[in-house]
Amino acid sequence: MTDRELRELCTRYFDAIERRDVDAVAGMYAPGFTFWVNLTGAESSREENLATLREGYALLRRRTYDDRRIDTFATGFLARYSVNVVQHGGRRGSFAACIVALCKDGRITHIDEYLDSSKFRAPAGEA
Amino acid sequence: MTDGEIRELCHRFFDAYQDRRVDELAELYAPDCIVWHNVFGREQSGADNLAALPKSYEGQRRRTYDDRTIDTFEGGFVIRYTLAGVQHSGHRGALWICIVALCRDGRITRIDEYMDSSKFAAWAGRGPASGRAS
Repeated sequence: MTDRELRELCTRYFDAIERRDVDAVAGMYAPGFTFWVNLTGAESSREENLATLREGYALLRRRTYDDRRIDTFATGFLARYSVNVVQHGGRRGSFAACIVALCKDGRITHIDEYLDSSKFRAPAGEA
Repeated sequence: MTDGEIRELCHRFFDAYQDRRVDELAELYAPDCIVWHNVFGREQSGADNLAALPKSYEGQRRRTYDDRTIDTFEGGFVIRYTLAGVQHSGHRGALWICIVALCRDGRITRIDEYMDSSKFAAWAGRGPASGRAS
């Protein structure tokens, strides 16, 4: 995949997550997709990750992925970003995260995500 | 910088960090180097970062930067790795960390570091065993 194709895939991915379009996200995941996050050190499958996405949407009024900085490498992309959330009660929070995504044939085959879970517990506006 | 040069710089950086060669790290940081951590959400200068290292090293008997997965991009590298630590008590722990480094003319100009601070206590042997033992 070219630099441009990888960047486009990255942008489409975050846009789809933002607008809660899980079907679009599923279309970007390769059949053998796996997801790993530094919070648990465990790897989840494509279906498990999609289920987690659906469940996560119910917890928040809005979640946006802002300040995206994308870099591409031979087999994938790196995205650094801020996650800004608005809870149902109106409280706001923000934390920085990054993902490294491996891609093949227009789809994402693996994601490693790094973030700081202590920010989840920070009072709104102080995350 | 070429892919090979960036990868070599990345390895030199982590080898020096692990072997506590602060003088060599100073050579690898550009004069205007900035270090940012997701845990604190703020930037510090490369000089301030280096100045804090000797004290930081006192906390553990040994640290190694293992399982390095390096990818290079135009202007830098991203590395995913396991920070394995041996405390003075003998307790062993590991943290999963990702660093994004921007590079220019053979030196590092910026580092963004991403980790989960909730794992620190377990890593240091002070809290519940939520961290992975190595």
